[in-house]
Amino acid sequence: MTDNCIECDVAIIGSGFAGSLIAKELSQTPPIRGNRLRVVVLEAGAGVQPNINDYLKRFYTASIKVPESPYPPALTEPNGKLIGPANIAAGRPTSRTLSHSSWKDLKQAYLDQTDSKLPFKSTYERLAGGTSHWLGQTPRLVPHDFQMSMYRKDLPDWPINYKTLSPYYDKAEAELGVSGDVEEQSFCDISFSKGYTYPMPRIPPSVFDQDASNALAQLTADETNFLGMGKPVTALRLRSLPAARNSQPYRNRRACAGNTNCIPICPIQAKYDPTITLSEATNGGAKLIDHAVANEILVENNLVSGINFITYKGDAGPQTGTGCIKAKVYVIAANGIETPRLLLMSKNGGRTPNGVANSSDMVGRNLMDHPQYVTWGLLPPSSKPAYPYRGPLITSAIGDLCDGPFRATRAAFRVSFGNEGWNFVVGGGAFGADPHVTTLDFVNGMNSSRLNTRAVSQLASDNSALFGAGLAETLRDLISRQFRIAFACEQDPDPINRVTLSTVTDALNLPRPKIAYDISDYTKQGIVTAVRLKRLIFKKLGATKLDFTERAAGDPAGFDEKIDDQLEQLTYGGAGHVMGTYRMGDPKTSVVDSWQRSHDHQNLYLVGSGTFPTVGTANPTLTLSALALRTAENIVAFFKSHA
Amino acid sequence: MRELPKQRHDDRSDATRLEPESFVSRRRMLAGTVATTAAAAVAPIAGAAYAAGPDVSSPQDMMAFLLLSAALAGVHVVNLAPEFSQDIKKDILDQDPGVDPINVKNDYFRWINAHDSTSSFGKLLQIAKDNRQSGINIIAAVNASDDSAKFLARSIVLLWYLGSWYEPADLKANAATPGTRAVTPSVVVSSKAYTQGLVWQIVGAHPMGYSNLQFGYWSRDPNDPNDAVQNSNFGVITATIP
Repeated sequence: MTDNCIECDVAIIGSGFAGSLIAKELSQTPPIRGNRLRVVVLEAGAGVQPNINDYLKRFYTASIKVPESPYPPALTEPNGKLIGPANIAAGRPTSRTLSHSSWKDLKQAYLDQTDSKLPFKSTYERLAGGTSHWLGQTPRLVPHDFQMSMYRKDLPDWPINYKTLSPYYDKAEAELGVSGDVEEQSFCDISFSKGYTYPMPRIPPSVFDQDASNALAQLTADETNFLGMGKPVTALRLRSLPAARNSQPYRNRRACAGNTNCIPICPIQAKYDPTITLSEATNGGAKLIDHAVANEILVENNLVSGINFITYKGDAGPQTGTGCIKAKVYVIAANGIETPRLLLMSKNGGRTPNGVANSSDMVGRNLMDHPQYVTWGLLPPSSKPAYPYRGPLITSAIGDLCDGPFRATRAAFRVSFGNEGWNFVVGGGAFGADPHVTTLDFVNGMNSSRLNTRAVSQLASDNSALFGAGLAETLRDLISRQFRIAFACEQDPDPINRVTLSTVTDALNLPRPKIAYDISDYTKQGIVTAVRLKRLIFKKLGATKLDFTERAAGDPAGFDEKIDDQLEQLTYGGAGHVMGTYRMGDPKTSVVDSWQRSHDHQNLYLVGSGTFPTVGTANPTLTLSALALRTAENIVAFFKSHA
Repeated sequence: MRELPKQRHDDRSDATRLEPESFVSRRRMLAGTVATTAAAAVAPIAGAAYAAGPDVSSPQDMMAFLLLSAALAGVHVVNLAPEFSQDIKKDILDQDPGVDPINVKNDYFRWINAHDSTSSFGKLLQIAKDNRQSGINIIAAVNASDDSAKFLARSIVLLWYLGSWYEPADLKANAATPGTRAVTPSVVVSSKAYTQGLVWQIVGAHPMGYSNLQFGYWSRDPNDPNDAVQNSNFGVITATIP
């Protein structure tokens, strides 16, 4: 470390949800003994843009529209050639490198997954605002999600419960701007503070949500017995999902206009993203340094004494220099893979050979996601169309099945109903996205969508190649009947699923993350139950014979399970939820306490969904935001008590 | 489709789909009309523009391009050229295609001229000129033409529908075995092209990431009276030109 380090009170590594929220809270804290807290945020990637026009243009002109499409660094050279991860300064996993030919190829994929049995399929961004490509759903965890030992003795409880976290959920919902309805969200023992209302009214359900609600309103207990809820289930209720998406103007941002593009970018910023909070933090005095990759946390006498970082230019480097930052309190907010990577890289000249904050040996372990079983079909010609490609990507879900005695033996799941038709599912994703794939099929006599058969299209022949009104009518009929339903499953923690350091490096010569990953039988049994529920839902929608769910050839996430004596070819997708890799709990078996403070180093906080000991089924962002706001309070208290 | 009764749209060009009896009668009637008109229109057309290659600044070539595109895509000319308004006293080729603020038709004309490796664009425009009274006849003539023209015609439909360019040669390769499942490479012509894709409008939706609709529209069917008229997809699909 050089002598001319940046000095401040709080150094935050990472400017995503957790980092931005903490930066804003601290920078807006009234002076403590006459001094405002000086906050510096390091961001590995690009800074906050003056507007999102460049990102939108990247998205519009991308021939493959995937979550990372709008965001830097560029994925390909202008000639279309993939830029390898060894040539990118602050790289990231991408959905384009999850195919059977690329996921274990270290020249293509950023993550070294050579030791994974099944692929870790989630991706993330590294730029100011972090997870700006998120969907925006903000359900709370349910109370039993914090106490999984009641179902399985081998699972850890959280060191904090729903009741303690509840006021921070309120605060996070205000910060993110959540639209929701208290009555609708009062299920599975979720309760709200007295008189609480969400900041905005709920997002209204889509046409398909309404149709599916009607179809599932009357069931028999026999039909749903397989769910193992321990009580008769005679209806499945679709509930409007709470979302950080404006249902009316909120904090100078517009109401949602249903652009059907929450992932990867809302063109009108009606969906919250952390650049909003980040700008408030910098307006409040926090300093953001972008293109700065933290590469070592320095420890002296059990306290963090500084953090070294590398600066670079452009997307891919070159390195332009090094720097260091000295603070009283350090917050690592670099997500569930980059945070353990940084901790493990920090060896302090051999004094911390297993990395920083790692006396428990739990840093990097228990990597979890919400593996998603995704299904898609057509409504029958006799039904009213689903009218997809309209409204936010998801507006409703079935949450009520996410808790029950079945959790002793299989994973829970939530069921989401898509408003984006077959945009990311057609043909198992092997041939591109809809409406492009189906359009191409009927123009060119192909059948990637499997819709171009007489039985489905009701045309005179298979593999029709059409022009004119016949083409337009066929596409309108088929595409307006498309629907998608996904089952996001709980994953149980397993120390073998872990992040370590690879021998391969990025453009700054830092070791890339190495991932070992697999899906347990517990999670697979959750997916098996999801298959049974899919069959019931499709039946009620009249779509049993119009089920187009398939596993693409060579899908590396494929696994087979016997269901009712039939071998089913199954697979899963990533939810983008990177969790569990520096969990909270007791000092022997975890990395941080309920304040997300390191057991080993009193002035080090590790924030984000990496602290989740178990993951329930709720999208993690709201919970990690609530935890971050609680951490901010703890940091303020620290400064108030330490003159 | 209760909300989008077929009677609200014009006939479809192919007689392949099973239709109610009354609808079939209407098609036969229309087909009869078309045949008469086509017969009356058989007259030599000056081939000068064809010889010189398609010219984006020639109103005749642009009108031929619009007629070709409308026929192949099954939409009204006005969906491709919003400022076009027909003067029924003049020959369709002598009319003003109009200029609109987006003017994607000019971008596409130029793009095809620049990227047509089959040298069939002139031929397709000539087919449109020769059959300018009948979309059905344009389609029949394209289908009867050689592979170069036919696959370029498919590229042109995909361009209007998706704003993306698929090379005719790639389409031909993937069409060799009917029912192929394959990736077909494509490039997005521009941000404007993506946001002007017609397929979204045809299916009652909007390009993902580009909507002019207002909060809550998704809880109602397309073409709800509460939604703005300009976003309606009623009347987009047609088999008749212009």
